[in-house]
Amino acid sequence: MPALRYAGVSVGYDRTPVLTHVDLELDPGQRLILVGPNGAGKSTLIKSVLGLAPVLAGEATVLGESPAAARGRAGYVPQIDTLDADFPVSVRQVVMMGRYRSIGWWRPARAADRRAVADALELVGLADRAGHRFGTLSGGQRQRVLLARAIAAEPRLLLLDEPFNGVDAVSQEAIIAVLRELAAGGTALVLSTHDLTVARELADLVCLINGRQWAVGTPGETLTAGKLRSAYGGHTVDLPDGHTMLVEP
Amino acid sequence: MIEPFTLPFMARALAEIVLLALICGPVSVFVFARRLSFTSDALTHTVFPGVVIGFMAGQLFAGALVAAIVTAVALTLLTAGGRVSDDAATAVLLTAMFSIGVVLVSRRSSYTSDLTSFLFGRLLTVTPRQIAETAVLAVVVLIALAIGARALLFRTFDPAGAQAAGYRVFWLDLWLNLIVALVVVAAVRAVGTILVVALLIIPAAAARMVSDRLAVMVVTGTVLVVAAGYTGLLASWTASLHYGVALTSASAVVLVLVAVYLVLIPVRILRTGPARRT
Amino acid sequence: MSWWDDALHRATAEVILAGCLAGLVGVHVVLRRLSFLTMALTHATFPGVVAASIIGVNILLGGIVAGGVVALGVAALSRRRGQDASAATGVLLSAGFALGAALVATQSGFSRDLSSFLVGSILTVGPQDLLTTAVVLVVVAAVLLVSARPLQLIGFDRAGAEAAGVPVGRWDIVLLLTLEVVVVTMVPAVGTILAVSLIVAPAAAARLWSGRVVPMTVLSVVFAVGSGLAGLWISSRWNVAAGASISLVATAILAVSWPATRIRPRPARPATT
Repeated sequence: MPALRYAGVSVGYDRTPVLTHVDLELDPGQRLILVGPNGAGKSTLIKSVLGLAPVLAGEATVLGESPAAARGRAGYVPQIDTLDADFPVSVRQVVMMGRYRSIGWWRPARAADRRAVADALELVGLADRAGHRFGTLSGGQRQRVLLARAIAAEPRLLLLDEPFNGVDAVSQEAIIAVLRELAAGGTALVLSTHDLTVARELADLVCLINGRQWAVGTPGETLTAGKLRSAYGGHTVDLPDGHTMLVEP
Repeated sequence: MIEPFTLPFMARALAEIVLLALICGPVSVFVFARRLSFTSDALTHTVFPGVVIGFMAGQLFAGALVAAIVTAVALTLLTAGGRVSDDAATAVLLTAMFSIGVVLVSRRSSYTSDLTSFLFGRLLTVTPRQIAETAVLAVVVLIALAIGARALLFRTFDPAGAQAAGYRVFWLDLWLNLIVALVVVAAVRAVGTILVVALLIIPAAAARMVSDRLAVMVVTGTVLVVAAGYTGLLASWTASLHYGVALTSASAVVLVLVAVYLVLIPVRILRTGPARRT
Repeated sequence: MSWWDDALHRATAEVILAGCLAGLVGVHVVLRRLSFLTMALTHATFPGVVAASIIGVNILLGGIVAGGVVALGVAALSRRRGQDASAATGVLLSAGFALGAALVATQSGFSRDLSSFLVGSILTVGPQDLLTTAVVLVVVAAVLLVSARPLQLIGFDRAGAEAAGVPVGRWDIVLLLTLEVVVVTMVPAVGTILAVSLIVAPAAAARLWSGRVVPMTVLSVVFAVGSGLAGLWISSRWNVAAGASISLVATAILAVSWPATRIRPRPARPATT
């Protein structure tokens, strides 16, 4: 069973489509990168998988169910700048939030929950920061904490919205290594970025979008000069090494 | 320092404050973290007509309870989805409800004295029955908070993440607003509609000055309210007995709380370095 | 006996003037989402007004001093990062009220004075008050006219205005102080609490009818004056509190405007990512 299947899907708000013609199929352990300019509909597509943005047309299946029915089963790593850095919460508490759904409303956290939290922090290399306040960490470290929170929930499908924005090189490397490990363990990954280098390095599949889906396939098939130019509307420069660079801000 | 509290009415006033402290400490931490200061202020005002109608019908408690629940629902609907004008809408709703209360009171012959007691409470005339009612409400509020605490924490810290994890944000917001409304109902007769907001905002705001930890903030906030209750009651007692100054006790309690907040500002600056601009 | 000797006539003149004031400044409050701050200002002005009347100086002066302290206090406290701004406003709000109540309580005749500060007593407005309101109206109108462009720029695009070299902080203080003066002036007419609704509700209603600033301002003034007059009439007809009636009429205008403007087709919401 694929982790994610979209067939002729349009997504948007208030019956106004933001993104149309999405056809995707993602198997467990595969890494899908969404590439497109700002405003292309990357976040909306991710929200639709989470059941938070309506599917206006077509057929969407997430972990074998409709997005609304699968809600809470897919992991999600939000953009760090949407969070309040002043919030009085420790790193450990943030990661424990990933376990809240399985802990439920009443029961106190068990040893298994605490172990899952410690393991997730260990995996992202921040075990020594567990007692620190979330807001005192650097942007890259915060992003790794949010990744640890998603991992602690042990999802079979994990979505990351621009995980490399405002992230230092060390943290970016750490995140990429963790994502590879997760995929090797069978987790399906969807992440959005406008960094084509990361896309080429990490992707099994690339989905090129801008208002509609322009291409989907391996990085070699999709990140070609011609397809990038059509999706980005000419804001591209062809480099002599055969790669294409974006000049869109 | 203990002697004034051997008088039954002073002891009852202190008991009432201690009960309120038990719920205001934890609830104010959520009000603070969710930045619900304005919503809490709105709730205190919108409960007012309920208090007036309840008073006229001889069922003040029931009136306040109904008004609190109705406005908690209305405010949640009004602010759902962060619609553009919710700030203005809240302001208008709260003054409108308040006006209804004033119109109703103004039809009575004892207009001004009634209005004053509704607005500023009568801490020194708290009855054993009122204390019992407050205790029941306190238990309800604490249970409701214990059930919702995890989900509320998640939703407060990261709304998008909580939604993605399957939490229904609307219902969580309603849950918290109802909890705040119940606190207002519990406190309204003792400290009045207007000063309740101090008990909902200041404990956590002051506790945040000395700690980053939620659990520590809850405890600190509770202790602060108890301490302010004791000090404020003692001050108003001393002022009226020895100096002949009529210092209303609820105002004294709130002023002590405010003073603590102001005193703690330098502590925060020492802990975190000088203020940075946003 | 001149026309001005009748309390109801003076009250009528006062609500017209106060309505103009509220309508003018309300547009800025709604556009900049300063409703909570306005609320805090009205509450915090209360001790200033009380203290001034105890000492025996002009209550306008007392209110402006107290309000100025609060406006600067909010600005100073909210310069600390994010979390504190709304809580700081809330603290000042309750502090103002507790202090005001404590001050009033030290005087005899506690209840009567207190309620007149809280909900206004428009029927006791004197010629002196009328003159003050008129002068303030002229000054506020002039200030808002002169500062219309920078205020609009800052309201629309704060970062852009800052980048363009507009002294954003200074204009914020101008707006805050203008707001404060208006609040203090309106206290005799509608009281500290209900001043908020006369400022916010007409402007919020006007905003529903028009998206442009000039028609919005005109409508806002018309709504505010209209609610003042209608509220006054209701109050004298049924013998209920004037300030509260005015505030309820203003709310009713907003409540009617909302569905009325909903019927008109709205432009589609812009797409978001």
